[in-house]
Amino acid sequence: ALSTRDRIKAIRDLPMTKQTLELWQGAMKSIGGKFGTSVLTYFVFLKWLLMFNIFSFLVNFGFVTIPLLVYNVTFRGLEILTGVGYFNYTVMYYGSYSNETLVDYNMQLAYFFTIAVYMVLCGISLIYSMSVNFKNNYVLADSASNSAWQLLCTWDFSVTNEKAVKQRRNNLCVQLKESLSETAQQERLTVSEKLKHYGIHFGCWLLSTSLAFGCAVFVIIHYLYLFYVLLQATKIADGSLLEEAKTLLVPFVVSLINLVIPLFYSLFNKFEHYSTHRKQIYALLIRNVFLKMSILSVLCHYWMDKVPAKDPCWESTVGQSLYRLVLFDFLFLMLGSFFGEFLSNVIGTKLIPRMGVPEFDVARNVLELIYSQTLAWYEPYEQYIQHFTSSSSVSVSLTHNCQPPRRSGRAAQMQTIFIFLLFFPFFVGALSIVAYTAWSLTPSEGCGPFRGLNNSFSAVDVWIDDLKNVTGSQWVVEIYNNVILSEIFYFLITLIILVIIYILWQVTNGRKELIRRLRQQIVNVSLF
Amino acid sequence: MGTTASQLSKESLSEYQELTFLTKQEILLAHKRFTELLEKHEKDQIDARVPMGKIITLPELKSNPFKERICRVFSTSEQKDGSLTFEDFLDLLSAFSDSATLEIKSHYAFRIFDFDDDGTLDCADLEKLVNCLTGETNDAKLSSTEMKQLISNILEESDIDKDGTVNLSEFQHVISRSPDFVSSFKIVL
Repeated sequence: ALSTRDRIKAIRDLPMTKQTLELWQGAMKSIGGKFGTSVLTYFVFLKWLLMFNIFSFLVNFGFVTIPLLVYNVTFRGLEILTGVGYFNYTVMYYGSYSNETLVDYNMQLAYFFTIAVYMVLCGISLIYSMSVNFKNNYVLADSASNSAWQLLCTWDFSVTNEKAVKQRRNNLCVQLKESLSETAQQERLTVSEKLKHYGIHFGCWLLSTSLAFGCAVFVIIHYLYLFYVLLQATKIADGSLLEEAKTLLVPFVVSLINLVIPLFYSLFNKFEHYSTHRKQIYALLIRNVFLKMSILSVLCHYWMDKVPAKDPCWESTVGQSLYRLVLFDFLFLMLGSFFGEFLSNVIGTKLIPRMGVPEFDVARNVLELIYSQTLAWYEPYEQYIQHFTSSSSVSVSLTHNCQPPRRSGRAAQMQTIFIFLLFFPFFVGALSIVAYTAWSLTPSEGCGPFRGLNNSFSAVDVWIDDLKNVTGSQWVVEIYNNVILSEIFYFLITLIILVIIYILWQVTNGRKELIRRLRQQIVNVSLF
Repeated sequence: MGTTASQLSKESLSEYQELTFLTKQEILLAHKRFTELLEKHEKDQIDARVPMGKIITLPELKSNPFKERICRVFSTSEQKDGSLTFEDFLDLLSAFSDSATLEIKSHYAFRIFDFDDDGTLDCADLEKLVNCLTGETNDAKLSSTEMKQLISNILEESDIDKDGTVNLSEFQHVISRSPDFVSSFKIVL
């Protein structure tokens, strides 16, 4: 055993090794120090998504891209924005993938199985993190969200900025006073006031839903206008710059809608009165989700239904439209965070000091992130750079322009809600679109790895047929015919899962009862 | 000499790694920051103590409302003056690190909130806790009726055996129902 002196001396003589930092550790520490853990959840979520995407990138790249060759075509500047031309032939669109079998490597199967495995892995990891989060933050957590004890015990020790600490103490005082007076106030609300509140809520919800529908209809009209009036009036000539620029109209409109309408929704907050801050965030989230889902579903419906009928190579066209959409979304996000928040900051500090500096809106930023992730599931390549740059830009604008949110949210529960939102509806929506594309749509004649087949899934059929002739792999054919293709198999599996769920639910109920009895026992024992 | 020094250092470093929740880099960084606080002549001493006044100048602790309590809880000095040796400092960082368990954190949180060090949180402790966290200006303070109401709410919620104080197990029970605690009870250098 060494004496303490020797130990300290030995450590002192060690050369100071360079710290291998966890990704973004310094930045996250300073953000947590000034804004606290609830804002940090946004960045934790971002990091999680980035790791997720890096993994998917590696999978896709390794199995699909590397075996392919890149063709040499002329390249023009506008194509960065429109994605036509040069990009048509790069590996970014699977329209250009060859359908040959290179050396023994069947491209069709490779592509199909890569996408299938990737989607399944995404689904499994999302379900897993969702359930773990749910268990920790909802089931095991206290039900009283405004409880004073909870507020006191979860004082954020990692906040190091002097002003932020002072602000937090003031906020905590306000929240404590609110929680004390809330119980008294609830009895004092008269019937007419309650009716007024409900009326305002109803009006705002009606307005927001109709806005969402209105935007979806607006986008439909735009598409119809574009394809029926503009492009049929003048013949599309390859190489006409103006024609290509016209295709930018729809993504521009969509991104503009996504930017402006949520601001309207935030305005509603001035009129509506919610009992807790969390309910306010959730209402805002639901409205924004609804808006985005309606626009996305309109676009998808258009792509799935209209495009294959007209276009000889629809995979590339759809890929291009997606690329444009993603790019514009990214550009607007950058512009929004730099100029929007910068301008609000300037207006708030210099011109109208009463308004104050903008708060960092965690909910809105997380939703942006989820939305761009959804677009990534349609076309896996464009997201990686975008994530990295958008995260750094958001954090820069955050530190310079925003102040911490006025009311501290329940960080852990918000994290659960974000993951839940990511999974359902966005992932499920993306999954169903991809499945629909694979099962029902006929691949185009001219391009894509599945050209010549009835639908993408037939690639597997063809492979199984080939396998019948190979001796020794009869078991694969047997499994395919009797298990994958038969409906009874899926029915049985569903039945078994339902039974297991029921049993686990009963076990949970039993445990709740046990907890209640044990608590009673503690009280009884201590009274002696 | 070189090989013996590195052999020694590997042993002590891994010993510290075993005894605390910190990683090697965190221990080295802690050592660097700790020696910056020492006087020149103390840098060669064994078991040098840094007085509380200097510890609370660390930027991570400077604005913390519990800085004095933290120093007193982790201090092993006999005069109970809140001074820390390097090993006390490592204990502190270990309890506040990312990998510390919920039991460790709630144990130390209880000791930090226990202002009179009597092993339970009674009304006086709770009152000091609330005042510590709500600020000193007059409009940020709670009035005495509000304070009484708040404390009785707290006791009603967490005092299971109804003895008028919150002991360690009741405190840990409340903490286990709050999922934000582990991520907020954190200090990173």
